Amino acid sequence: MANKDTEQKIRQAFSNTVPDIRDSILSDCKSQKGAVIIMTDTNKRTFSPRRLAGIAAAFLLLIGGMAGFRTYRANYSVASTVSLDVNPSIEIQVNKKEEVLAVNPRNEDAQIVVGDMDFKGSNLDVAVNALIGSMLRNGYLNELANSILISVDNQDPAKSAELQERLANEINAVLQSGTFDGAVLSQSISADSKLRELADTYGITLGKAQLIQQITQQSAFYSFEDLVPLSINELNLLTESGNLNLANVSSLGTASDKAYIGQEKAKQAAISHAGASADKLTEYEIELDFEHGVMVYEVEFKCEGFEYDYEIDAVTGAVLKSGKEPDNDYVPPQTDTAQPETGSSSQTGGNAPQTDNSSSPANNGNTPQTNQSPGQASSEDQNSKASYISEEQAKNAALSHAGVSANAITAYESDLDREHGIMVYDIDFKCEGFEYEYEIDAATGSVLKNQKERDDDYIPAQSGGSQASGGSGSYISEARAKEIAFTHAGVVANAVYEYEADLDDEHGKMIYEIEFKAGNYEYEYEYEIDAVSGSVLKYKWDEDD
Amino acid sequence: MIICLTSANDSGGQPESSRLDRCLLGIADEDSQALADLYDCTSASVYAFALSILKNTQDAEDVLHDCYLHIYSAASGYRSSGKPMAWILTITRNLCLLKLRERKRMADIPPENWEPYLQACENASPEDRLILTECMKLLSDEERQIVILHAVAGFKHRETAKLLELPLSTVLSKYNRAMKKLKNHIGKEY
Repeated sequence: MANKDTEQKIRQAFSNTVPDIRDSILSDCKSQKGAVIIMTDTNKRTFSPRRLAGIAAAFLLLIGGMAGFRTYRANYSVASTVSLDVNPSIEIQVNKKEEVLAVNPRNEDAQIVVGDMDFKGSNLDVAVNALIGSMLRNGYLNELANSILISVDNQDPAKSAELQERLANEINAVLQSGTFDGAVLSQSISADSKLRELADTYGITLGKAQLIQQITQQSAFYSFEDLVPLSINELNLLTESGNLNLANVSSLGTASDKAYIGQEKAKQAAISHAGASADKLTEYEIELDFEHGVMVYEVEFKCEGFEYDYEIDAVTGAVLKSGKEPDNDYVPPQTDTAQPETGSSSQTGGNAPQTDNSSSPANNGNTPQTNQSPGQASSEDQNSKASYISEEQAKNAALSHAGVSANAITAYESDLDREHGIMVYDIDFKCEGFEYEYEIDAATGSVLKNQKERDDDYIPAQSGGSQASGGSGSYISEARAKEIAFTHAGVVANAVYEYEADLDDEHGKMIYEIEFKAGNYEYEYEYEIDAVSGSVLKYKWDEDD
Repeated sequence: MIICLTSANDSGGQPESSRLDRCLLGIADEDSQALADLYDCTSASVYAFALSILKNTQDAEDVLHDCYLHIYSAASGYRSSGKPMAWILTITRNLCLLKLRERKRMADIPPENWEPYLQACENASPEDRLILTECMKLLSDEERQIVILHAVAGFKHRETAKLLELPLSTVLSKYNRAMKKLKNHIGKEY
């Protein structure tokens, strides 16, 4: 007997013994399809895939006719989705009667808040009250972080607005009765597919995604990705400090900045670092901002011929970045009382050098000053190269000022340059997560300008050590890894929720760890994707329970 | 309840990829006729493959059902790469592995368990029953999967190797050994 005949027989045998469940599959899919049309898209957990339930639902639809259908829809379909974001993000799905169908914690904090409470069938108000209570008890809402975001998603805008307002007032009342004042932001969601994708990508609620989207649209300083890790309180503070006017978002109360050191302390930290005295400051400015993933106070001021520029960590008060530059507009104060007159006469008459004060400054002039100029000690020898310090000496001056050792630095660059009328060495380097910029006076070796800033590209050294020269260039992007995982799992991006991805070093090999849930199966998917080749190293599908 | 099976597989080999792609496109548009077509073209392969892994008709039927629901909800994300059958059987395989873990059992089903099920299959001839029983009894798990992918799903050995994550040479030698075993038995007893 030839292989072909055997194959033919095997094919025949299996074809003839396939159980015929075509109709049951079709009816299950139809009931799914029906559900998708009825419900808002946010609801991804509609029906259990169990066949019997599906058939029963289809059957019910058939025999019940419209009446049955209405009852069904009122009881089991999601009419509104309410999400509460503080840092815990919780989604509550309710039916038309405002009875809770499901409470979905969207992050770890939320799981703590929800705990083992079961809200199924209880009233929305009861559930919201209990959840707020739990957030208070667990310390997610307190004096230091008092902001909560309520987002309502209902297909009927009027209903959304009504629910939004009612919940906002209710929660505000609950918070007001406590020991601190709350700040309640509320909004109605008008989710498009792009927003949904953003929310899925970053594993946040649609509500938070919409809030962040609005902030990024208003202010070009922030990117969506930067803002994702921020709590609602921090987002609220940014909105207030940036005077952003967000459409759709109504706000009650003020965000608490008590978790931060406050403007006065930040100012002190900057001044003491600069060694300046508070009463000599001019053009002082301070602003709360968000940079490189942390909340900072940006402090700027001028003092005695220098411009200072600081970033102070808003929580710890540490100086994250400091900049000091000679102030080109600076007019040194005269001990002489005639000074004001000199100033005015030079403006009116223009004969400044001839005034009685011989040491009158000529700041932009070519005539070098041998005294008076703080920090810019004698620098006349602009023409005689011999009198400059060597580049090595300049480097040493910068390193010793920064307090780092020569063999720990990377990306070292130096350049002899003319700035502010004198010759300087421009020295740039990186060391342990910071970027340093120096200007060293080429004649005296003194530090004219120094700046220390976080290095955004910095990757802490791996103990595995196999990728010292790595960079992320040789890896596939996270988006690509995600695509590979989704394709392998056969799922569609918009059916995915609770998505998490992580680039990780496992035994010296870089991998993407990707976890998500998807579809109506409530399956949990876990993938490990080789970050270099993009191949699926491991995967796991588990029924979510 | 039993409706006559219309198998598009009569010609042997893999159902035409372009036809399956059209079905998948239709399913993405929620066309239930397209789903029915796809089921008709591919259910034998899906079921046989599931059965070859799971060795239990009830579990295989569950996977058969879940597989099409999965396809139905995932079809809009499917992008044709010219290998729709490979996509479908990858889903099948993944679902089977899940099923195995879920049940935490790899134990073989004793052959007598098959009898009642096979008796209930009205369409199956005595020869069909024999072949099925022998496939289950004689072959190792891998051999069985390789044979089914080739004979029922019409996979090229290269495609089988890729799906099962085995070297091509292993697939080829296992296939030949398996066919020899089957031919010996089926030839002798029938």
